[in-house]
Order: sequence, then C-alpha cells, then structure tokens
Amino acid sequence: MTTTSPRKRRTKDSVTTDRYARMLLIRELETEAERQYKLARIGGYCHLSSGQEAITIAAADALEPDDVLVTGYRSHGFALARGVSPEAVMAELFGRRSGCAHGRGGSMHLLDVERRYFGGWGIVAGQLPIATGLALSLVRRGSEQAVLCELGDGAVNMGAWHEALNLAGLWHLPVVFLIVNNEYGMGTSVQRASAEPELYRRAAAFRIHGERVDGDDLEASLETCQRLLDLARRERRPAVLEALTYRYRGHSVADAGLAYRTREEIARHEAADPLKRARAALLDQGVGEDELEAIERQARERVEAAVEYALADPEPEVSELAVGMHAPGSAEQFERMRPGSPFGELELTFGAGLGR
Amino acid sequence: MPRLSDSMEEGTVVRWLVADGERVAKGEPLVEIETDKATMTYEADADGLVRHVAREGDTLPIGAVIAHLLLEGETATAPDGTQAQPASRQAERGEDRPTTLPAAVLAAAPERGREAGVRLKASPVARRIAAEHGLDLAALSGSGRDGRIVKADVEAALAARAQPGAEAAAAAAPGNGGSAEAGPSPAAPAPQTTGGNTAPSPAPTPPQPAAAKGEVTLTELTRLQQVVARRMAESRATVPAFTVEASADMEAVIALRERLKELPGVTPSLNDFVLKACALALREQPKVNGAYRDGRFELYGRVNIGVAVAAEDALVVPTVFDADRKSIGQIAREARALAERVRAGTITPPELSGGTFTVSNLGMYGIRSFEAVINPPQAAILAVGAVEQRPAVRDGRIVARHLVDLRLSCDHRILYGAEAAEFLARVVRLLESPLALAL
Amino acid sequence: MTYREALRLALREELARDERVFVMGEEVGVFDGAYKVTAGLLDEFGPDRVRDTPISEEGFVGAGVGAAMLGERPVVEIMTLNFLLVAMDQVVNHAAKIGAMFGGQVRCPLVIRTPNGAGNQLTAQHSQSFDQYFAHVPGLKVVAPATPADAKGLLKSAIRDDDPVLVLENLRIYTEKGEVPLDPEHLTPIGRARVARQGRDLTIVAHSYAVVRALAVAEKLARERGLEAEVIDLRSLRPLDMETVAASVAKTNRALCVEEGWPTYGVTAELAARVQHACFDDLDAPVERLGMAEVPLPYAKSLETAALPNEARLERAALATLELVPA
Repeated sequence: MTTTSPRKRRTKDSVTTDRYARMLLIRELETEAERQYKLARIGGYCHLSSGQEAITIAAADALEPDDVLVTGYRSHGFALARGVSPEAVMAELFGRRSGCAHGRGGSMHLLDVERRYFGGWGIVAGQLPIATGLALSLVRRGSEQAVLCELGDGAVNMGAWHEALNLAGLWHLPVVFLIVNNEYGMGTSVQRASAEPELYRRAAAFRIHGERVDGDDLEASLETCQRLLDLARRERRPAVLEALTYRYRGHSVADAGLAYRTREEIARHEAADPLKRARAALLDQGVGEDELEAIERQARERVEAAVEYALADPEPEVSELAVGMHAPGSAEQFERMRPGSPFGELELTFGAGLGR
Repeated sequence: MPRLSDSMEEGTVVRWLVADGERVAKGEPLVEIETDKATMTYEADADGLVRHVAREGDTLPIGAVIAHLLLEGETATAPDGTQAQPASRQAERGEDRPTTLPAAVLAAAPERGREAGVRLKASPVARRIAAEHGLDLAALSGSGRDGRIVKADVEAALAARAQPGAEAAAAAAPGNGGSAEAGPSPAAPAPQTTGGNTAPSPAPTPPQPAAAKGEVTLTELTRLQQVVARRMAESRATVPAFTVEASADMEAVIALRERLKELPGVTPSLNDFVLKACALALREQPKVNGAYRDGRFELYGRVNIGVAVAAEDALVVPTVFDADRKSIGQIAREARALAERVRAGTITPPELSGGTFTVSNLGMYGIRSFEAVINPPQAAILAVGAVEQRPAVRDGRIVARHLVDLRLSCDHRILYGAEAAEFLARVVRLLESPLALAL
Repeated sequence: MTYREALRLALREELARDERVFVMGEEVGVFDGAYKVTAGLLDEFGPDRVRDTPISEEGFVGAGVGAAMLGERPVVEIMTLNFLLVAMDQVVNHAAKIGAMFGGQVRCPLVIRTPNGAGNQLTAQHSQSFDQYFAHVPGLKVVAPATPADAKGLLKSAIRDDDPVLVLENLRIYTEKGEVPLDPEHLTPIGRARVARQGRDLTIVAHSYAVVRALAVAEKLARERGLEAEVIDLRSLRPLDMETVAASVAKTNRALCVEEGWPTYGVTAELAARVQHACFDDLDAPVERLGMAEVPLPYAKSLETAALPNEARLERAALATLELVPA
C-alpha cells in the first residue's frame, strides 16, 4: 500500500486533446443538466460531477472494451466517458424513449450494455456486491477481464462494502473498487464520517491492495487505473483505489452545497481545476489556443444539440409501461392472475407490455 | 316499473313491444308487464328512443328502471334512475363520451335503492340465483349467520316452488282427463321458464320418489298462483278465523226472479241476490266491511264485493264496486261481464283490486256447504252452497223448500260471534223477504 | 422420494445440463448443506459449481445478482428465509429492479432458494413466514412448492427462468414423500396452481406447508362429516393463478385462505381481496382467512402449537366458513 506520487509516473502523451474534449463535454453537460433541471425538464434527483472529470476519464480510458463498469448514482460523467452519446444521456435525463435506459432509469441509472456499463445504481454501496458477482462471472468464464466498481466516499461505511471486499479478497476476484473521494458524503465530510479517513487503508483489513491517487491529475489517475486493472486481469488481484477529487456543485441540484463548506474552499479547488490543468498541459505540448477554443466551442454545441435531440424525442408510451420488467415470455405466466385484479392493473400492468 | 295494482310490489317484464334502440310515440304499447294479478300492456307516456334496461323475464320492484326513454339529445345515465343528462351538459363538463352504463349495472341499482331502508341479508350467490329464477328473497328466511339468506335457502325455496305444483298437477290430471301439464293461465302467463339452470347444490338432492308416485311433472307457478298460495297460507297462518252458518229459504227469491225474467235484459242469478243482500247488510254493519290491520280496525266507506271466479288453473276475484248502491240488475250485468273477462284473460288490475268483502259460490257444482278461506285483510268471506229443495219445517209441518246454506268465515280480531251472527241473520232475512233487494 | 431429495435431484440435473448454473451459499459444499439439500453435489461438481460462502448474505446475494446480469444461472441458497432479511436490499432494490429500471436491456436470472416456515421451537427470530414480503414486489417471481414433484418441477423452472425467482421451501416438508417424475425435463410451470383435492362444499386456498395441513383437514372433514373441501395448492405466489382459485370458488361458493405466516397484509389478504372481486356473485359467505397468530412465535411448545395455523384451528376455520360453528 503506497500513496502514488503522480509526478514520478507522468507520461508525456496521456493528456491529449481528445481527453480534454471529453472532459469538457462532461463539464458542459453537467452545467447544462443543472440549467435544464431548473427549467423542470429534468426531474427527480440529479447528482452532478463537475470537478471530477479527470478521474472519470482516466478510469474509463483504463478499461478495455470487454471490461465491465458499474457505478453509483453520480453517473453522467462515467456514461459519457465510457462512450454513451450525450444525446442518449440527455434524453434519459429528460425521461424520453431514446434515453439510454429508455426513460425508465433517469439520472441515477444510466447504462450501456454494449459498452459493458452495467449501471448507475442508486443505493449507496448496493453496487459493490453486484460488482463481485460480475467479477465472479468473468472468472467462471476464464476471461481475462476485470470489473471497475465506482463508489463514493460515503459508501465505505456500509455493510455491503465490507461484505463485498471480503468476498473479492477471499475469492480473488478481478475487481477494482474506485473510491471517488470528493470529500463529502452529501454534507458529511470524510473526517466526520470515517474512523479511518484514509479510505484506501481499509483495504488492508481484507488483504487487498489499497492505493490513493490525485484524482484531478489525469496522467497519474490514468496510470494508476491501468496498473490496478492490469493486476486484476492478469493476477486476479482485487484492489481499492482512492481518488482524491472535489465536486463543485452540491450533493445534488437541490443542494446549494454551502451549508457544510465555504465558498473559499470551493474557490481553492477551482483554482486547481482538472480542466485548467489539462488545458495548461496541452498548451505546454504546443497545442494552439485556437484549437483549444474550437474544442471548447464544439463541446458546448454538442451539448446544445443533445438538448435539442432530447426535446424532440418522444416520451415513452404508457402502453409500454411494463415492458422490460419481466423477461420475454413471462406474460403467459402472469396470464392467469387477471381475475379480481385491482382497478387499473389489467390495463396498466398486464396490458402494457408485461413480459415483453 | 310502474305500479299497476294496489297490491303490486313488483312486476315481471313479459315482452318488450318496442325493440331496444327503436323510437316510440306517446300512447303506443311499449311493454307487457305481469303483475300479481294480471298481464298489462303499458303504453309509452312520451315520444322518444327506447333503451331497455330490464330484460324479458326480469322481475323488478315498483320504481325500478326498466327502460330509459331518451328525448332528443339525451343519453342514458344515472343508475339510480334519475333524469338522463342532456348531451350538452356532458359536453360542458368536458366529458367526451356519454356515460352509458351497462344494462346489468342499471338493472342492479334499483334493488340497492329498495333495500336502502332495511337491508336484506343475502349472500351474493343467493342473490344471483334468486334473480335468475325470479325468486323474491324477501319471502325467504335465512339459515346463514345472522339470518343471512344463503344459497341453500334459495335452492330449497326453488325446490319447494317446483314440488307442490307438480303434485297438484299430477293429482288433477285424472279428473281433468287431460294432460297434467298446466298451460299458462291467460290471466297470468308463467313468469319464468321451467328447468332453469340451478347451481350445483352443496348437499346431494334427494332422488324424486318416482317409483311411489309415478312420473313426476314439475310445474312452475304462475305469478297469480304464487300470490294465491302466499295469501291463502298467510290467511290460515295469521287469521284467527271462526265460522257461523245458516240456511236461507230462497222460495221468495226464486219467485221474484221468475217475475224479473219477464223484463228485458239480464236476469239476475240467485248469486246476484246474495251479493245484493250482502251489500245491504254490509252497509248496515261497517265492521264486516272492514279489516284488522296492524292493530287497528279499518272501516271502509265503499262496499266493494269481490266475486270469486274460477279461471283455468287460477282463482280470480273481480270486484263489484259500490254494490250497496247498485240495483240488482246492474250487479247482475257487472258480475257477468267480469266473469267473462276473467275467462278471456282480459281482466285489468283495477278490476281485481279494492274489494272489502268476498262472496264465493260453489253451488253450481252441487256443493251444499263449504268453508271459504278469508282473503286478507278482509274481515270475512261468505261461502254459498247450492240452492236445492230440501225438507223444511213450516208451521209444524215438513215441506219441501228451496234452501241454501250460507257459511260466513270471520276474522275474530275484528268480528265477534254476535256481530257475525247478526250479519248473517240479516242476509238471511233479506233473502227471505227480497223486496228490498229488487229496489 | 422426499421433498429434500427432489430438490437435490433438480439441482443435480440442472448443474449437469447447463454450465452456467452454479450453487452458492453458506455450508452448501463441505458441510453438505445446513438441511442437506446439496449433499454430495460438491463431490460431483466441484467447488466452482458448488461454492461455499462466508456468512454474508448481502454480499453473496449481491454476487448472485451480478453474476446473473452477465448471464450466469446462480442458485443461491439462504439457510433459512429469516436470514434473507439482511439481504433485502439486494433482492428488492436490486434484483427485482434490473429488468424495468434499465429498460429491459439487462436481465437477472437469479434463483434464491430457502426454507421458510415456523415450528420446531425455533422461536421468534427463526420461526416465521415472510412469503408476502417478496410476493409483494413487481419484478420478482415467487414459487412455493408443497409436494416433492413440484419441488423438483418448480426449482427447475426457476433455474431456467430469465427473471429472479425466489423458491420458498419449508422445513417441515423436507421429509414429506411423494412420487417424483425422473424425467429431467419434468417442469412445473410458474404461475399455475394445482387442484390438490376436489370438493364441492368449500375451497381451501393454501401454499407450501399449509397445503399439507389443508389436505389432512379436508380428509378429516370428509371422513367425519361428509363435507368435501376442495384444496387449491397455489404453487406460485407471484404470478398468482387466480383463474384456478376463482373457478373453484365459483363451484363451492365458500373460500378459506390459509397461510403459515401472519395474515395481516399477507398472502391471504391478497387472495381475499381478489376473490371478493372475481367471485362476488358466487360467494355464499364472507371469505375466511387463517394464519399464524400475530405474535412473535414463543418458545414454549404449548404456546407455539396454539399460535400456528394447526389442523385443529384449520378445521374450525373451515367449519366457520361453512357456518357450522360460530366464527
């Protein structure tokens, strides 16, 4: 267990205009999501990840196409980083048919099965045991792939964390638990929540490798994620990676984010914003200001186009309310349930696609 | 369901004369309804489009909706039979479809309304079977918890309804020399077809005693027969009856009748004289022309005498209204006309209602004397036997005289022995000195 | 063959038939299963297919969910239903949600099998029936075999089903014997009830061990009183085969619903509601219900016996439904 020193492992070519563009896309989409939420086009909970772009892109880029990703509910950035289109994300936030969860999941439950992104999950730490099962399946099939399981700093105090890490360690499962430590679980700081605030150290209890990285450093984050995922794939060694980062916005759009921290604290972090750091690195590499401005303009336009797309996308049909809940063919199993059904059940459940 | 007679509580839709969805003009025959007394044709009381609610065979209480008569721009609506809403008002409420309810809903609703006061306890399945068979649940007593009428009670009632009819028919068959199957009475067609599907019984139905009694034919009672059965049983069960008996010498009446034959028109029968005698006696003795009802005496201002008439498989009692004020000739004409109408099945409920006293005569069969069952709530009924020559003692000598036996059955709750005797003696005196009758 | 052996046969057949199937749970391997259902399977199929877990229900139920999402067919054994409460989040808020919440793009063909039921002086924390907690949840399927044949047939159907299925067994039926088809394709369809006994006077609707009790009482009523009760074995709680129930009640006009668990908000509550709706015009008496007394089950044998829906209570309830004794 070591604390990585980012400077030592810096690789010259990991900060690219492509990664900068994708980090920007996340930032722009989050900013727009907040605006659209306030226009009441997005409902429910909406957790933004502005400020966390570096570790998000690094983690996604460390994954191979056949690796599996699961995350908690702060999922917009991970979806985009894994390659889900901003249109599919925005349409899902709007609750529309072409949303990546067909309008059934919303902000917390983005996914992309083709890209092996098995979901944003809404219950703190609920995705951890599932991640062990995903890894167990990879092992059973003898495939050399790994699971990356994202969680927040609040999740490490849940029982599911302990059970999942125990199973991962006991069964040598290829899973990397990425703690995105943005300093607060809702409004409770890590210091106020965790008896061992150096969260990566908790892995030691399960004889699992633990490590901490500056999650706002794109190069360091990428290198660390790659290394730990490699260990998981090749040696079936699970790991815990704690990425230190910060979210600029509140816990969700409904939280101003100022009750438990100061404006000065936020400003201090913004001064070391991962986007600014990446931009400076690119300028160092000789990328022109014009090109960067073009990238920034394109990111904004892309998000605007996603909003246009989502607005035009139809809402799901009520006649498809129950579609997907049960596997195809299940309708026959439920067919004989109809006599005495409560008011509306025949129409809304049995008549609306159950078992399709 | 219109009220078509005084004792009518419910009626059966026998036949729709205007099909569902067709138009009817005011005054056109709309539906045939069978009451406890007769089958009536009910005429539309307005122009409009007919929407049936009750089906043929449905038995419904008075006031139940049997159909909607829709005026221009109306649609059927409220299940409680309230006014149909004009289409325009529905449009105002933003409803884009008329709120037409299924006929079953509409038909079921009035029953709820009727029971709003005293809720009849019956299980849902008991209600359903009773409705299917036109059985009045109110007439049953329940064996279920808290007196609830359950399926077994309904099935027992249905079995009972079928059983006595069959026995009577079988017994009557040899005498009639014809088929045991009772044809529908013209006055009262059978409300339900026989052999309806009964739900499976929890207890095995005892086998019919076919061997001992031969083949058993089951016959459903007509509504009229049901009423007769109920009223007679009620009379025997609830009325403390006694009889007084006397003979009247009819020689004077016979002589008078011979004289009247010379006049044109209908000659009064001997029974018409009895009616007239009773009418005058009733006028003088109001309690005999009354009723004991709910702990009180009801004395009636009009003297309306019911005349029991045998119809095919039925007993019908048409009424001679205000008999005390009518001449013997008028009584004779009316009684004859009523009997004709009974036999033709064209008698109407008003003509069968309102009796205050009844005369029953079996003299034409050669019966000398019999006891009649009081027709509740009337105070008394007079049974008239055959007028025949019998030995009588006059001035110490035995002579042959035309005599008739009169037996008066009385409800002891209103009539006491002396009053009954006084009334019957008065009738005898009037018959023996019939000049007053000829006025 | 006993119910327990029928379950084992189903597991063995499905393990042999489909590589994706594996068994996982506490003591399922080396120990041969806490109730010996998995006895011998470790030797036959090895530790990858018959996987012992730590005492960690939330962890390994979640692991089953994850493995199922990638297409495995995990059969997770929970030692008794009581211990599934600590994994409730994984069952109700994860497994059951996957199909709908992700727009039908991911499935979760997970089987959780566990014995349910009260008795044997196991006392409050280990003597209860929670069937309704799970049957309540859209997205889950819940089956509860009452016979050895259905134990095999329903467990196999559950393993082959593409949705999460909870198979509720019962401690007291494990030793019940019955004919079990040896055909490896013998499947009991999910969502189909069984008329366990024909009758005309009363319908007793039951599942799991209550079916065994109901059949015993039905025979006694027939023998001693000439009353013929029809017994419906639901077999599936979700989906619920109301057609079979309604057809029976339409015939007998009286229904008694029995469950081993607490009846308030229970399986019998659901049945009563649907029966009154489906069979309103067929009912000759109110729908009656019988379940465990509404107390945490005490230890003392006398109290335990009194609290359970035992045969004496069931007989009285049947007679009360027939209005032959006071309610």
